[in-house]
Amino acid sequence: MKAVKGKFYFGGIHPRGAKALSESAPLEVMPASATVAISTSQSLGKPAVPCVTVGQAVKEGEIIAKADGAISSDVFSSVAGTVAEIRQEKGVNGADETFIVINAQENGEKFTFPALTQPSADEIRARIRDCGIVGLGGAGFPTAVKVAPKTPVDALIVNGAECEPYLTCDHRLMLEKADEIVRGARYIAKALGVENIIIGIEANKPDAIALFEPYEDIKVVILRKQYPMGGEKQLIYVTTGRKVGLGKLPADSGVVVQNVATCYAVCEAVELGKPLYERVLTVSGTAVAQPKNLWVKLGTPVKDIIEYCGGESSTPKKAVLGGPMTGVAIANYDSYTHKTTSGILLLSGKEATADEPTPCVSCGKCADVCPMHLMPMNTAFYAAAGDYDAAAKYGNVAACIECGACEYICPAKRPLIQAIRKTKAELRNKK
Amino acid sequence: MDNTVVISTPPHVKSKRTTRGIMIDVCIALMPCVIAGIVFFGWQALVVELVAVAACVATEFVYFFIANKGFSNKCRDAGKVCKRWLKQFDFTSVVTGLILALILPSAVKWYEVLIGGIFSIAIVKMLFGGTGKNLVNPAAAGRVFMFLSFSATMIKYGLPNFDAVSLDSGALSTGATNLAGLLGENPSSQLSALDLFLGSGVPGCIGETCKVAILVGFIYLCVRKVIKWWQPLMFIAIFGLVAVLLSGFAYDSYTFDIGLFLPHVLSGGVLFGAVFMFTDYVTSPRSVWGQVLFIGLGAIITAALRYMTGIEVTSFVIMLMNLFVPLIDKYVFPKPFGYKKPAKEGK
Repeated sequence: MKAVKGKFYFGGIHPRGAKALSESAPLEVMPASATVAISTSQSLGKPAVPCVTVGQAVKEGEIIAKADGAISSDVFSSVAGTVAEIRQEKGVNGADETFIVINAQENGEKFTFPALTQPSADEIRARIRDCGIVGLGGAGFPTAVKVAPKTPVDALIVNGAECEPYLTCDHRLMLEKADEIVRGARYIAKALGVENIIIGIEANKPDAIALFEPYEDIKVVILRKQYPMGGEKQLIYVTTGRKVGLGKLPADSGVVVQNVATCYAVCEAVELGKPLYERVLTVSGTAVAQPKNLWVKLGTPVKDIIEYCGGESSTPKKAVLGGPMTGVAIANYDSYTHKTTSGILLLSGKEATADEPTPCVSCGKCADVCPMHLMPMNTAFYAAAGDYDAAAKYGNVAACIECGACEYICPAKRPLIQAIRKTKAELRNKK
Repeated sequence: MDNTVVISTPPHVKSKRTTRGIMIDVCIALMPCVIAGIVFFGWQALVVELVAVAACVATEFVYFFIANKGFSNKCRDAGKVCKRWLKQFDFTSVVTGLILALILPSAVKWYEVLIGGIFSIAIVKMLFGGTGKNLVNPAAAGRVFMFLSFSATMIKYGLPNFDAVSLDSGALSTGATNLAGLLGENPSSQLSALDLFLGSGVPGCIGETCKVAILVGFIYLCVRKVIKWWQPLMFIAIFGLVAVLLSGFAYDSYTFDIGLFLPHVLSGGVLFGAVFMFTDYVTSPRSVWGQVLFIGLGAIITAALRYMTGIEVTSFVIMLMNLFVPLIDKYVFPKPFGYKKPAKEGK
């Protein structure tokens, strides 16, 4: 359908996009690494339980760890080969994770589920669960849980905002696989029993918007170029005008949000029977030799990906897994990709500044840009004094989505997100 | 990759704006007023401006030097402390000095400016914890301090003159700027609105007379997004309306003469205060609704006090309102996005 403009909401920032670095690089398939290390913590909720033993031969796409409980997802081998090791190691965010290390062999066998034609809603739901699909936007919420909401829903929103600077992989995916994304979205809509499919795309991707307009059953909404447009609550408000209550799920407002990459994964799972073991990611930043958009297998070492992109072009100031606003800074390249890794960024000293914080002057810019309309400066002020209850009360920390807009805009370079996370952790410890 | 890589919480990219950059922007925005002051009031104004800025910066430096033990161990670390001072120097004291100078009459003595500047920085700013911690606007407090201490010179406003200003008693108009005429018995003695706007022939403070210069500064601050454009406009609108309303009572005619709006707004230091002082980050509330309350109340009190006292009260009101800010910050903050009023229990 003809694209319409989204609603306006207060808050948000306009960071330098820096998408031109990798925007024109078409998606390419990165060859499999010799060794992959696949973490069993691939989604929100409990980590999966390994169901292979050391020395066992596995096919590409074979299940290697089973979901543990409702909010968890199956994990699949991304290469054919033998299981070399199952080890405990600290993951990028500091928690202990179980890694299943697989040595790849050439010309191994592939495992796929049988392809479905004209699937029913139940079949689609079962297939999404079997293929271990999780939200590929960043949080990694198991899609199987999302497509079986407890409250009635009447709309599916496809998130094509990609509001984070640098990242372009969703944009490339929309350009190259628009039809698959639409089919995947239709499968999800069928599983949910909704007719209404809305896709939200940021105004800086006119080519992608034009591609989705011909589909008569898809409503295209042009989003203002504003971060964080792709935040779930913001996207729902902008596209449908509904506000999701604090501590509530989108389904409580009658909508379900899925990323474009998730829709593509669902399409592959249904039509090809392919489990989720590879994803698109962007390698970018001015410190990497050739910025690229890649299809990368789960558990690929970051080192191999950097090498495939021509290595470093200059010494990076920061290396980031994920987007520059919410990603995790890594100290070395000894980590592996997850289902939720949407980018690898090597930022030079010009891009990633690490300035000393100066005193807060109460300018209120952090409150002005907060998409959740909170008061980050109050949180930082009380958290620094150790009064976490006051920090939570006057800063409304519970509602924070940690988008990073406040710290981006802060002229005093205060570490606001750090204070917010500290406050959240202290409140959790108290309970 | 070597071990120079930085680890931190996100976000990893940040805006290029710094506190220092913003304060330099404010200095630039004040420049038209500074220049207009020199053109209108001559070298006297330049002396006041230079002394005020020098006093403020020097006071900040001395305070920092002592507080960081620059004198201990026979000044062994003096060099290091100086370097650290330069590194953290954020131009806030320059802004304070400039604003203080611009809200003083040009006839004020240089040593009075010096004492005012030292008071502004040492007592009002540094003793409360330095940048970002002061309760009241240092420049406003400095002016109030000088007004109370040196009232003899502080109420003598020099007439701007494009020739060299002669400071003999004849050229000095004693009494308030244009307010005496405006609020007095004989409104016809007022100057025209255009004169007030350009500042030509209007007695007043160094930076407050030329409204064109203030407007240029205002536009610059808005373009650079240092201040919110609606704040000064809201102040002016509310202030003007209340002042016009009160003038109706003054002449016992009980009429609402909107023609008095411009003379009221363009007289005295209201415009300057609205653009440069009510929008000060540190001493205004943090939330948007807090700022609305702060500016609305400030405008009403300014108009009322002006009507009752007949003298320039903007800096008094700014000081007074600054003291309300912690209270406003405690009770006025925004509802989070998606907040719903909890349903009442019982009944």
